[in-house]
Parts: sequence; structure tokens; C-alpha cells
Amino acid sequence: MSTLGAVSAVGTASTASTASTVNAAPLQLLAAGVLLVLVAGVARAALSRRPAAGDALYRAGFAAGGLAAALAALAVLAGASPPEVRITATTPGGPWVFGLDALSAVFLLAVAVAGTASALYGVTYLRREPHPRPAGVAHLLMAVLVAAMMLVVAARAAVPFLIAWEVMALSAYFLVVFEHDRPEVRRAGLLYLAVTHAGTLALFVLFAAWAGEGRDLGFAALAARAASLPAGGALVLALALLGFGAKAGVVPLHVWLPEAHAAAPSHVSAVMSGVVIKMGIYGLLRVVVLLGAPPAWWGWLVAALGAASGVLGVLWALAQHDLKRLLAFHSVENIGIILLGIGAGSLGITYGHPAMAVLGFGGAALHTLNHALFKSLLFFGAGAVVQATGTRDLERLGGLARRMPGTAAAFLAGAAAIVGLPPLNGFVGEWLVYRSLLPGAATVAGAAGDASRLAILAVPALALIGALALACFVKVIGIVFLGHGRDDTALAGAREAPPGMLGPAFALAAACALIGLLPALVLAPALRVGALVAHRGAGVAALDLGGLSAAGPMTVFALALAAALALAWLARPLLARGPRAAAPTWGCGYPAPTPRMQYTASSFAAPLLLELRPLAGVHERRTAGAFATHAVDPVLAGLVLPAWRGLRAAADRLRPLQRGRLALYVLYIVAALLALLLYLLAAGGGATPTGGAAP
Amino acid sequence: MSPLSPPSPALPALPALAALAVLLLMAPALPGIAVKTKALLTGRRGAPVMQLYHDLWKLLRKRTLLNPATTWLFRAGPVAVIVSTVAAALLLPLDGRAAILSFAGDLVAFAGLLALGRFALVLAGLDTGSSFEGMGASREVTFAAFAEPGLLLCLAALALATGDLTLRGMLGAPLAAAWPRAAAPLALVGISLFVLLLAECSRGPVDDPATHLELTMIHEVIVLDHGGPDFALVLLGGALKLALFGALVVGVFAPRAGLGAAAAIAVLAAGLAAVAVGVGVVESVMARLRLSRVPQLLVGASALALFGILLLLR
Repeated sequence: MSTLGAVSAVGTASTASTASTVNAAPLQLLAAGVLLVLVAGVARAALSRRPAAGDALYRAGFAAGGLAAALAALAVLAGASPPEVRITATTPGGPWVFGLDALSAVFLLAVAVAGTASALYGVTYLRREPHPRPAGVAHLLMAVLVAAMMLVVAARAAVPFLIAWEVMALSAYFLVVFEHDRPEVRRAGLLYLAVTHAGTLALFVLFAAWAGEGRDLGFAALAARAASLPAGGALVLALALLGFGAKAGVVPLHVWLPEAHAAAPSHVSAVMSGVVIKMGIYGLLRVVVLLGAPPAWWGWLVAALGAASGVLGVLWALAQHDLKRLLAFHSVENIGIILLGIGAGSLGITYGHPAMAVLGFGGAALHTLNHALFKSLLFFGAGAVVQATGTRDLERLGGLARRMPGTAAAFLAGAAAIVGLPPLNGFVGEWLVYRSLLPGAATVAGAAGDASRLAILAVPALALIGALALACFVKVIGIVFLGHGRDDTALAGAREAPPGMLGPAFALAAACALIGLLPALVLAPALRVGALVAHRGAGVAALDLGGLSAAGPMTVFALALAAALALAWLARPLLARGPRAAAPTWGCGYPAPTPRMQYTASSFAAPLLLELRPLAGVHERRTAGAFATHAVDPVLAGLVLPAWRGLRAAADRLRPLQRGRLALYVLYIVAALLALLLYLLAAGGGATPTGGAAP
Repeated sequence: MSPLSPPSPALPALPALAALAVLLLMAPALPGIAVKTKALLTGRRGAPVMQLYHDLWKLLRKRTLLNPATTWLFRAGPVAVIVSTVAAALLLPLDGRAAILSFAGDLVAFAGLLALGRFALVLAGLDTGSSFEGMGASREVTFAAFAEPGLLLCLAALALATGDLTLRGMLGAPLAAAWPRAAAPLALVGISLFVLLLAECSRGPVDDPATHLELTMIHEVIVLDHGGPDFALVLLGGALKLALFGALVVGVFAPRAGLGAAAAIAVLAAGLAAVAVGVGVVESVMARLRLSRVPQLLVGASALALFGILLLLR
């Protein structure tokens, strides 16, 4: 990479600078952000002898870098369109181009905000771990991971994209196996590594097939070739689903996700669940941008995968007793919601309904950002709980809201947001996705034969996902934070998390509330992203985004609801009559209740899992004195592992050939030669010298 | 259907506010009407129709009982139930024409508000650490998981029939115009909504409001530990939710866009009373379903709405 000196931002930036010099600022900010983050990581690793100074430097550098990147993203989302930067020296795969458009910007914003919050949280978190490991390298890897993701969304050519992609995947792998002395962590890491590399392989094939004979792997050149791809780019679209879907954790490619996210340190889980998997979503959307209108089957397939991921993800989450695995399965669910939006958007392009396309892609983009905020927040809460109690097992927790009120409040905010309750941000994003699926005067003009109207059939799936998510988070909060502690040894030392962990959590909670309370701030940018993906860049004004987004009334609704809730809460003491009297929990007259008699996570989820038993993957074990349920991932346990075992068994059949005796191997060689000779004799009849191929 | 008259432009909010007041004031009478119907059909005299008003008045004058095991969530639950239910009522065109607040896609907000109330109430129940309340919470969210797709299917069918994405339009003038050409699907949606009402508002055959055994309760067992004003809010919230779903059913079967304001409000009141009588009749003629049968009932209700959608998509 001797070409860094040959960066010729001048080439395009100087021409653009005649129009406005401010335009180039976002890319410069992004470059500054990447550098600051990397410098912060290197400094922390170099100062491992003086962790206090290193931590301070790391915090400051990472925060500054994150802020710079976030400002770059916000500038682009507000309407700035920076020129692309080209590295024109001899780079493989044509010039390396970097740029920022609205689609990149929304993902960059998620990376900057959730990545920075996770890094800051990680400083305090790793310092408080009961068995401290050298944190310097973990912080460096975190910086590399975040910087790589910033470059993934900015890359405008296949080669730098794939390099950044692979750096991201590998740094994430090393972070996942940070606690590599535990065997289950190594196992989860290996599974992640296998799946992510299979996905990268699919991406290699994707770009190779797309480029064909062409030498230039720049995105502009690929877009120019899109029209000439056979079968409307069917191969490219299928490979994109495979490669990017594996990263995003789409069912059935999600098998690595719950394992890796549960095994990683909590701040790594936060950044992986919050933003790393979103890079898969970014890839899918970028392919749609470059390729043009996808065929109908792709839209339906994406929507179906989205519905399957959503319903199955939340169902499997409901079955978990492990707090972090549960949250990881919720990421599968939310990827499903995002895919429903992408599917609707794609169908909107295919069937010529721009409003549907813009709403679908815009909803997917907004939900991506929202999920980055609240899923990171939830993992922060889970990390605080795990650190305070030393267990991830829901059945041993309870009553933590009284011991850790700040953590409980932050987790509650994240839960209400992820469930999609007004007036928080999850509601705004899901509302856009619903809008894209629902019919309406603006979306579907009412043509009876129009197949896109069938998208309405995804509405009950989205509703089911929402209701199951509500059930699951009621379970988590009720079992972990409310009631009484179920295991005194785990809970005896539980203390509130320190400000270094609560601060990032509250910052993300505030962001969730801000988006939820002022949807007018985000709806127009989200729809602009949707318009960009839907190829309506110029025609977006004709769509009447104001009527489409309903930003004004939405904001009034959210603010009024929040104000009413606050006022009612404040007015509540007016109802009080006389002094309060204490009364214990009603126990139906039973005189000696114990905390062990409380409902457990398993009993809470049992009725739902019983109804949906064929899909849920819950195994029961009954012995004379005990009853236990065990949640397994049906895809991993029922599909992937048996296939792997079959492969191993077939390979075992060949084992007897390998005896380790030289004479036997010589015999094999002689036998092979003899067989070849016989074949030549039979085929050529001995008359023609067929062995001429020998050199 | 009567020919449509354009909605009067002068002060559209005033009839809407009046209709909202009627809904809120009438809500506590609805459970009473259902109970009275049930009593009369089974040969008893039954409690007075206005019983719930007396109960609320009594509870509001009581002291607050506070469970020392609980947190602020326990106290926030009833408040959130009331606020979210009233906010959901603001989205409905109760006078047949105008809603106090309306925007494209507000049907999603309607479902979201109901979910908010459920979230708050169920967490308040779990806050006590009572096994009974955990059981009730579990049942509540289980049945809601089957009811919510049904509700959204019904609303989506209305949106499809009317081509309008606001509840104001879906239950207002466009609905009246849609009835002649889509009577069968709309009737299916109305029936489906009535079944959802029975489940969401804890009426028979899903729940038994008259049971006094904790193990057989669903909704009531969640609020065992609430007392005094808190419990009054919970009871009022339940009655409001019944009125809300009743208004949905009345809105589908009796679009009132062509009537004058006073007549529309009178039809709303009569319709709500009729829905309550219907609830009482159902509770009189049907035994309570086994818990494991309830999801089947709810899936059946969703299937009705789905049929409606398929008919509309034809």
C-alpha cells in the first residue's frame, strides 16, 4: 500500500470545490475519524504498562473519532453530497474509490454512535472483569473493527471493500475469542470464523461474476455492467443473499450469531449485534443500488426470509434462559424486520410503486439505525448484570431493579424501544415498515391484478413478531429485574454499575428517546435514503415526502403521548388518600413463601412455546426427581451439525486406507499405475500412443 | 347505506370531543350491561348496571396499599394503562367523521398504544414477585401474541377496503362508501374484531370475569396486589379498553359518516350498549374454553380477517 501518498482527492475534489468547498468536508471528517480511532487504539496498546493514561487517551481519541465520523454522516444525511476520492496509483482491481452518500451515511452514523459507545463502555467493563486479561490488545482490536466498518461503508470499489470487510471479520473474530481459555468460546469463535469466511467466499465469487471480463472493479464500473448481467443479475443477487445474509444472520445462516454474541465480552456483543451484522444489510442495499431493479422473485424471497427470520428469531429468543443468547436471537428477529422492509422496497421497484419502495427501504434503514442504538444499549445492561452477578442464567437472577436501579431503567428503555412501543424509536422504524406493506391510496393504486398487493400478507407476521418480542422482554425484565432474587449467592454482591458503564447506556437511551419523540428529525433523511436505494434520487420531490412521512402529526402524537404519561405520573399522588400502608404480596393464604416459588423464565415462556412447539426447539428432560428444559437452535442442531457429522462419517470410511506403512503406500501407487495402464490399453487399444501428454 | 354528506367543516373537533366524552363516561357501564344481560338470561336479577361506578368511587376514596417488594414500575402500570387507552381512543373517529389526532398509518400507533398498556400492566404484575401474577402475565402475553396479528389483519383489511391508511378514514366516510361493494369481507372483519374484543377485554369464553379462583384467572390475577386508587385505575382501564374495542366493532358495522353529529353520537352509545349485550349473550351461552383452546379461537378470528383480505384482493 505504497499508494497512500498518491491519493488524489484533488482529482475530483478540486473540480467540485468550484461548486462549494464545504462539500468535501464530510470525507475529510471521516478520514479524521478513522485515523483518530486507529490512533486511539494503537496508543492504548502501546501504553499497556500505564493503563490509566492509556484509557484516558483511548477514551478521548475514540470519542473524537466517533464524533467526527458522526458529524460526517449527519452532514450527508442533511443533504451534503461530497465528491468521491480516488486513489489512482496502480491498485489492484482498478482505482480505489471512497465516497459517502445517504445510504453510507446512515450506516456510518450507526457505526459511529454505537461503536463509540461500546468502546467507551468497554474501557470500564474490561477493567472490572473478575479475571483481568491484557485489555490493550482488545481495545486495539475494537478500534480496528470500528475503523474497518467506517471504511466498509465508504468503499466504492470491490477490492478496498473486501479488504475492509475481511479486516472487520477478523478483528471481530479475535474479539469474540478474547476469553479463549474457555472451550465454549473457542468453539463459538471457530463457528463464526467458518461462517464468515464462507460468506466472504460468496462475495469473492459475486464480484468476480459481476465484473466478468472487466478489469475495473470500481462500483461505478460494476453498475455500468449491471444491465448486461445474465438473467437480470440472478447469480449476483443470490450470492449477495448468501454472503451478506451470512453476515447479517438471516435464518438459516444465523447459526454462528447466538454462539458468538454470547461468548464475546459484553461490549463486543454490543458492537457485533448492534453494527457488525448491519454491514450485511448495507451490502444488500448497496447491491440493489448498483444493480438497479431486482427481479420479482428476489423481493418475495427477501420478504419471506425476513418473515422467517423475524418469527423464528424471536421464538428462539423466548426459549432461551441465557441472557446474552436471548439478546443475540433478538438480533436475528430484528434483521428479519429489516429484511421485510427491504423486500417490500424491492417489490415496490419491481412493480412500479415508488412510494412502497421508498417506504420499505427507508424503514429498513431507519430500523437498522434504531436497532444499533437499542441493541447495544441492551447488551450494556446485560453486561452490567453479568458482571454484577457472575451469571447469565435468568433462572438465578431476580429483583435487580432495587440493587441496580440505573441499569434497570436503561434496560427498560431499551426493551420498550426494541418492542416497538410508542413513543420510542423502535415504533417509528416499524411504523415505516408497516406502511410499506400496507395498501393505501399513495402506495397501491388499487389495480386488482397487481401482485405487490400481496405484500399485505406480511403484516400479520410483523404483528406476531412484535407481540412475541413484547412477551420476551416482559419475561427478561420481570425475571431479571423484578420480583425477588432467586439465588442468593449470585445476587449477594450485586452492585450498581459505575458511571463509565451507565453513561454510554444512558446516552444510547437518550438517542432512542430523541428519535422516538421527534420523528420529524429522522423521517425525511430516512426517506431520502429509501429514495436513493429505490433509484428515485431526482423524482423524490414528486413523491410528496411530507404526506408520505406524516412527520408533523407523528411528532405531535409522540410528544403528546410522552407529555400525557409524564403528567399522569406526576398527578398520581393527587389520588392518594391518607398515609400509605404496607402490605405483603398476596400469597393465597400460604404462610411461608420463598423466592423459589416465583414464576421462572421457563414457566413464563412455556405456554407460548407449547403452542408453537414444532418450531421452538425446546427439549425436555424428565427424570424421577427432576424436570429440565433445554433450548437448542433447531437449525444448528437439526441441520448443520448432522450434515457436518455425515461428512465426517463419510470421510471416516476412507480412514482404513491410511495405515502408516510404506509398503502399503507403494502398493497403492503400483495399483494406481496398473489401473491407468489398463485404462489406456482398453481405451486406446494400444495402437495410438495416448501417453503423449507426459512431458 | 345512506348517501354521504360532506363532513361539516365548522368545528370538526367539537363533535369528536363530545363523542370522546360519551365514550369515556359510558365505559364503566359496559361491563355492567354485560353482567346484567348474563344475569337476566340465566334467570337472576344480577348486579346493578352502574355497579362499576360505585366500585370506582369506593376505591378512589381508599388508602393506597404499597407492597414493599415493588419498585416504581408497580405504580406506573395503572397510569400507563389509562393514558395509553385514552390516547388510542383519540385516534378513532368516534363521531363517525373526525378523529382528534390522525395521521397516515395511525392504525399501527393504535396497536402500539394497546401494547404499551399491556407492557406496563404486565410488568407491574411481575414486580410483586408473586407466582400468581407471573402466571397471569404469562397468559396475558401468550394470548396477546395470537390476538395482535388478528387485530392488524382486521385493520389492514379495512385499509384495503377503503384505500385509506388513517383510522379516521378506515372507520369514516370511505368505509361507508366501501360497504356496498365489499359487504362480505367487511362483515368478516367485524366478526373477527368482536372475537378479539372478547379475548383482549378478558371476557368469556376466553376469560371468566366472575371467577374467584386465582389459578383460573388471566387478567385479574395480574393485578391482585393493586389496591385503592391504583386498582380503580386498572378497573377503569379495563372498561375503557372494552369501550375502545366496542367502538371499533360499532365503527365497522355502523359507519356514521352520513348522520348528524348528535345522531352519530347516539348511534355510538346505542352500538356500545349493543356490543355489551352481545358480550353478555356470548358469556351466557358458551362455557369457558380450555386455556389451550384459546389460541385456536384467536387464530380462527385472524383467519376470518385473512379471508376478508383475500376476498378484497381478488
